[in-house]
Amino acid sequence: MKLRLWSYFLRQALINIMNNRLVHVIGLGTMFVSILIFGAFLLLFVNLNVWVQGVGQTLSMSVYLDDGISVSKRDMIASWIKSLPTAKIDRFIAKEDALKELRRVLGPQAGLLEGLSANPLPASLEVVFEKSNGQRIDPERIKKELEKMEGVEEVQYSEEWLKQFKGLLGLIKMTGLIIGGLLCLGILFIITNTIKLTIYSRKEEIEILKLVGATDWFVKIPFLLEGAIQGILSGILALLILFSGYYLFTAEKMLFTGVGVFDLIFLPHEYSLLIFLGSVTLGLTGSLIAVRRFFDI
Amino acid sequence: MIQLFHLFKNFGPNAALRDIDLRVSRGEFVLITGPSGAGKTTLLRLIFGAEKPTSGQILINSINLNRLGRASLDLLRRRIGFVFQDFKLLPKKTVFENVALALEVTGERGSIVRKKTHQSLRRVDLAQKEKAYPLSLSGGEQQRVAIARAIVKDPLILLADEPTGNLDADLTRDIITLFKNIHVKGTTIVVATHNQELFEHSGQRTVVLKRGKIVAEK
Repeated sequence: MKLRLWSYFLRQALINIMNNRLVHVIGLGTMFVSILIFGAFLLLFVNLNVWVQGVGQTLSMSVYLDDGISVSKRDMIASWIKSLPTAKIDRFIAKEDALKELRRVLGPQAGLLEGLSANPLPASLEVVFEKSNGQRIDPERIKKELEKMEGVEEVQYSEEWLKQFKGLLGLIKMTGLIIGGLLCLGILFIITNTIKLTIYSRKEEIEILKLVGATDWFVKIPFLLEGAIQGILSGILALLILFSGYYLFTAEKMLFTGVGVFDLIFLPHEYSLLIFLGSVTLGLTGSLIAVRRFFDI
Repeated sequence: MIQLFHLFKNFGPNAALRDIDLRVSRGEFVLITGPSGAGKTTLLRLIFGAEKPTSGQILINSINLNRLGRASLDLLRRRIGFVFQDFKLLPKKTVFENVALALEVTGERGSIVRKKTHQSLRRVDLAQKEKAYPLSLSGGEQQRVAIARAIVKDPLILLADEPTGNLDADLTRDIITLFKNIHVKGTTIVVATHNQELFEHSGQRTVVLKRGKIVAEK
């Protein structure tokens, strides 16, 4: 299509927007808020995911030992652990140190421990596995092997709760997708009706355009551009506000407000592009539905 | 140029046109006349492709309108000028913009649109009013804007529906003179009017419609 026609279409689309600015402002506002909600959800999901992945980089394991275990047995267990790939014994916590640590954690409530006749806490070996070198670690197998050894009371590892958290993350993802889907339908409904209203307001002009020989597409394209412009503006606005929110929560100046600085990351470029393109596509699709339903001149 | 074969048009149970057979040659000036409700406007709208016949054939320049798709019909309309009874001017556009619209839809270059629009406005003697809005013009001036828009694309056929409808005698004479001048340049013209006397003594072929049927030809 000729370039000058596109400049005509764009001019017409902008004139339409200006002539129906109230309808467009309402449509734009609603679309922007919907995309912002979806973007905020995505930002939350991305950050939780990154945090879980970061935590999952190291696997920590607590090997609780039987009371009265001999030093030689303890050393034997320690050397077996050291023989495991990427394993490192971070520290040994004696029974007394474990109780001291508990007292410290309980703080003012430490008096609760005064009535104890004996120290109920076991000694433990704190083990760390580094996952970064690509080695596959099977914590469940190691746990079972250790629990078979004489002198080992119980073994717990960090991924057990991480697994549960990943389940929660899956739930958040699913909720986000459902909310996103509903918001998309809402946006389509809003855009379709916004464009329908502008088509109604230009009904007379459309009729005359058709009577002087305008093709269907000549009449339709400015309306499609209106939807696309709404999508572009909503997408850009939502991303800007999202970035401003992110900047505010991560900026050092937040320290002065008494609220801690959050260690967040912003949406990766491809996600931001996805939000923008999705917004434009929704705008276009909404106006396409409106013109398809409306035009029969 | 225009050939109508056994044309019927019904609106619900009412027959607007009945068995119309008509040929209009290239460069002819034909008057369609008859009382109100005779079917003159319907006949013009069928020739323009704005209505579909109930039965019968319409050929424009040997093209059968019944077989034309929407897109082809849009292109054909660019070769037919139509002057509507109610002018159909856009009140929010200036005189110049209203006339230029007929060229803009064809994707014509801006410089050509400007040149032809100015020429067309000069032909209807409205060059000085190009920046005015339709509602600030008299009925006669609005009619001339509508004619300027119809002729700006140099149509093969010019159709006019009651072009002198509500005009006084002087303005009517001006409009008739304008049509004659357009006709002299070779455009085929079909004018529907209930006021046949206006065109008397000008030697045009006249087709008389009554209750949807051609009852006389002069």
